[in-house]
Amino acid sequence: MSENQPASQAPVVNFDKLVQKLDESIVAMEESRPFAKAGKLPKLFDIARRVLLQPEGCQAIEARAQRLEEAGVFEGTDWADPATLVPSLTTYSLQSQNADTVVIEAFSELRLLLVARGSYLHPSVSAEQAHHYLTQVLAINLGLLFGMTGEAEREQGKLALISQSLVQYVASHIGYEHVIDSLIEEIWRILEQRPIRVSDVRRMITQIAICRADPDADLGSAGRGADRLISSLYGPTRACSEDPGTAVYQQRLETMDSAALQNEATGFARSMHDTGLVSPYHACFVRFILEGQDSLLSEALGLSSTGRDCLLCYRDLVRTLIDGSIFPETAQGLYGLALLLERGILYQPPVAPALWRQARLNLCPEARERIQFAYGYQPQPAAWLMQGVMNMLGQPLGVGQGNNPTCQSARALSMWAYNDPDYLLQMVAWAARDNEIVMHFEGQPVSSARSAGGVASEVTLDLDPVSLVVVPHLDRIYAEMGRLCVGREGDPHRWVNPEFHGWSAGRGFAINVDVATGNLTDLEGFIRHFYASYHPYYNGSQPLIHPQPAGIAVTDSAARFIGWHAITILRVTLDPEGEMRVYFFNPNNDSGQNWGDGVQVSTSGCGERFGESSLPFEMFTSRLYIFHYDPLERGEPAEVSEDELRRVTEGVYRSWGEDRVPADALQAEPPRID
Amino acid sequence: MTEQNYNPEKGYIALLGWSLNAIEAADKFDRRYVVVAPDWAEAYCTEHDIPYVPWNFERLNDRSVEIAHILQDKGVDVAIPLFEETVEWAGAINSVLMGNPRLFGQAMLLRDKALMKRRAQLGGIRVGIFEEAHDRDDVIRFLKRVNQTLLKLDGDPNDPIHLKAFDKAGCLGHRVIRTPDEVDTIPEEEFPVLMESHLDGWEFAVEAWVHNGKIRFLNISEYVTLGYSVFVPATPDLEKYRAQITAEIEKLIKTFDIEFGFVHPEYFVTSDGTMYFGEVAYRPPGFKVFELLERAYGFNAYQGMILAFDPKTTEEEIAAFFPKEVVDAKGYAGCFGVYPRRRVVSRLEIPEETENHEYFESHELTPPVEETVTKRTAFGTHWGLIYFFGEDPYVMRDLLKHQEELDFYV
Repeated sequence: MSENQPASQAPVVNFDKLVQKLDESIVAMEESRPFAKAGKLPKLFDIARRVLLQPEGCQAIEARAQRLEEAGVFEGTDWADPATLVPSLTTYSLQSQNADTVVIEAFSELRLLLVARGSYLHPSVSAEQAHHYLTQVLAINLGLLFGMTGEAEREQGKLALISQSLVQYVASHIGYEHVIDSLIEEIWRILEQRPIRVSDVRRMITQIAICRADPDADLGSAGRGADRLISSLYGPTRACSEDPGTAVYQQRLETMDSAALQNEATGFARSMHDTGLVSPYHACFVRFILEGQDSLLSEALGLSSTGRDCLLCYRDLVRTLIDGSIFPETAQGLYGLALLLERGILYQPPVAPALWRQARLNLCPEARERIQFAYGYQPQPAAWLMQGVMNMLGQPLGVGQGNNPTCQSARALSMWAYNDPDYLLQMVAWAARDNEIVMHFEGQPVSSARSAGGVASEVTLDLDPVSLVVVPHLDRIYAEMGRLCVGREGDPHRWVNPEFHGWSAGRGFAINVDVATGNLTDLEGFIRHFYASYHPYYNGSQPLIHPQPAGIAVTDSAARFIGWHAITILRVTLDPEGEMRVYFFNPNNDSGQNWGDGVQVSTSGCGERFGESSLPFEMFTSRLYIFHYDPLERGEPAEVSEDELRRVTEGVYRSWGEDRVPADALQAEPPRID
Repeated sequence: MTEQNYNPEKGYIALLGWSLNAIEAADKFDRRYVVVAPDWAEAYCTEHDIPYVPWNFERLNDRSVEIAHILQDKGVDVAIPLFEETVEWAGAINSVLMGNPRLFGQAMLLRDKALMKRRAQLGGIRVGIFEEAHDRDDVIRFLKRVNQTLLKLDGDPNDPIHLKAFDKAGCLGHRVIRTPDEVDTIPEEEFPVLMESHLDGWEFAVEAWVHNGKIRFLNISEYVTLGYSVFVPATPDLEKYRAQITAEIEKLIKTFDIEFGFVHPEYFVTSDGTMYFGEVAYRPPGFKVFELLERAYGFNAYQGMILAFDPKTTEEEIAAFFPKEVVDAKGYAGCFGVYPRRRVVSRLEIPEETENHEYFESHELTPPVEETVTKRTAFGTHWGLIYFFGEDPYVMRDLLKHQEELDFYV
């Protein structure tokens, strides 16, 4: 399995010299009079930061952790008394944009690691306490542990590398077994959202499998729940349960009778639909049965009657798709194919011909290169792209933006895959074949080839194959449309969103932030209007027809404003408990976020379909700042009860609206959209 | 808290001005000390048990002599100035403590750049053309006259002149004027100023510790670009003038009648090897040269100052303290003063090539407080220093020069 990480390592530096400088600054700190110690800290912290950026950095700091503490680096700070440290706060310090905060947190973790390992008899913490504390820190920072990054890490830049390597270093010494149970829970939570890109999940599962295989790791009762996850990748059926390797498995297939093959097919399908993960063996199997036994294909894909019907109607196309793009490396495409057939979108007249074009598409060198860079040389870039197309059409809500500030483009791809699949296929063809996409802004053509830079200075490689090829174009077009709005009063999304996403995005535009000042404006009118447009009790029970772009003020778990974010509102309806909920798509890679003040975005268990996020209507409204509507259908502002209105506005004031009350003389940062 | 064990046989010194580095050096040394600083330092000194006498150096009146008596009553032997603004205070105090009124006159001489040049001229030291200016007309007249002297015709580019405040440290208030138009940019409140002709030469600084009228340690600091960067010791290209420079400093301390203490003069050496005196200060240099010296040689320059000022220091003691110039240096230490090159900046970002350079040591830069960078009107006022250390003086020089082309604030 290919594990793809964006390549951003610091250039080579002389590590020994750097460590020597570190030692000198520690000595300077030790010899310093207490009244002058503060003056020695900036230098020490800066050198330590550079040390930590190096591969051996954590080790070097750990070796000096006791001296650092005794020299007084923690004096006068909360870290001075480790017994009172709170594990959950480490998330904030590790994600801080202040280098000194990250460095002192690293000092503290590494000191406790030294204590936990029994090499440092600390006056106020025991080895057991330190061990327990670090275990909690790891469980809380699992994302860092497995290189899953989000909004906060993006803002943090290179410092995120320190936090990641620190957590990974601590884990390798504390032992992954102590965090495995919370990790397994985390994996299931992510898989329930059925993301297209599962390489992080694969990496985590592989990590667990390695731990379990390691005779030295005493897992105890931990990790039992991992069986299904590991088997879904490394042995989903009887004939490959011991992970024999694809060559051996191929030989076994050749000797199987039809009943055994039938068993294999249902085994694969069950595992795939259970987890959303596809084993490389599954790809071997499907390729094998394609030769003469393709009656098993429907079983192997686990299709319902709808899917089977579709398969039978478009048999040649499906065979071509599998033949050209399903290999052990691209096995994940099978899940996309199965769901694509289930959605029945092949019955839309343009879709099948567009897929035929896709199957024979010649990729331009730029697209080839990006795919090869991210996914390697085996199989061909066209196969990777086809796999990506099938996944995106099968799992439109599984699109993620990766570690890029391109939520707009990711949202557009998802919206098209959901709503307008042949348009998506057209975009992919233009981007992959011609290396240019042309869209129109108020009649004026906007070309991705002739636009200056996009929102993202560089689109990273941690994306699904379609996004990898198309997003750089969309991002440039989106930014160019924004530039065409320069000089217009108000928020540019008013004009950009409908032009960018297509005719189905409402031309009416409501915003509750004054762009010039960043202050809230007509909050009550905005809320009443949103209720009138979207809430079934106030809009005549009209379900939402087309998914609509909307803007969210994202807040962190302490309800502090982080940034503006693009999402899609998919539907508004009662959940199984009878509560009115907004179901929406968040292009962020993991939607299960805690937005603070009790607003916990749910991704399963409240009537969500795969990939949907949901919030009760009121809570959702308290984070909303932009929505679109059809100006011709606009009714009267809803008669929302005072109570409900007050709860929503208070939710705004308690979170991102805190500093945006118009009377406040302080000017907030003008809105900016990812 | 002070952990000092001082030697009662040695002198008791007073540090005039607030410098943590100087205080720490004193605290680790064997002389009893007291810090004389404004009253905002009191809380810190009380908290950390630092010996302290409050004094407001800005207030000058007929009670000013009190500080001399306070220190005399404590048994202090000598006062050491740490900043330009405390030089005349040290002179006044020491003239009382040591019963030598000439020390005050000497300090006044060292505080006024015009007087200082006159005195130097009288001592047979070569200086450039200079004059005091009281208004903008004086500046224009001087600019014209200097250029006439140089036999320039109308239309030839002018040789620039330099303007400096009389009594400010280093580069503060230093301006270069080339055309009469530029004269209008000088704010009224900067007058009177000292004007000097431009010397086309190599400018460098010297730090000399003097005891019993003799130079005990002489460092030559090489400027790469004035106001941006300096390193110690100097390259062999400059060190080859050491004998000549030593002779010049000896002439200087004789002319100014300096028996003890520390001098920090600036000179130009022209292409034919002639030395021109620029100015001299009687206090530690700016740009953290003391820290650079400690990095390069390992001795603490503040402690060297304490030895040089203390009347109870013996010959053997001071001879043992200082290393041998240049040969005892472990390497070359330099620093660069960062000034943002862009008009609008949002964050601090040390260039990777700087940060990963083998010579790079550390920096004292802080994130920008404001996004708009004020226009740079005079030399000085950098946003923080970056330190380098390495074995090769030429690599050091080129590295420091190269930093001028990099953005640290973007």
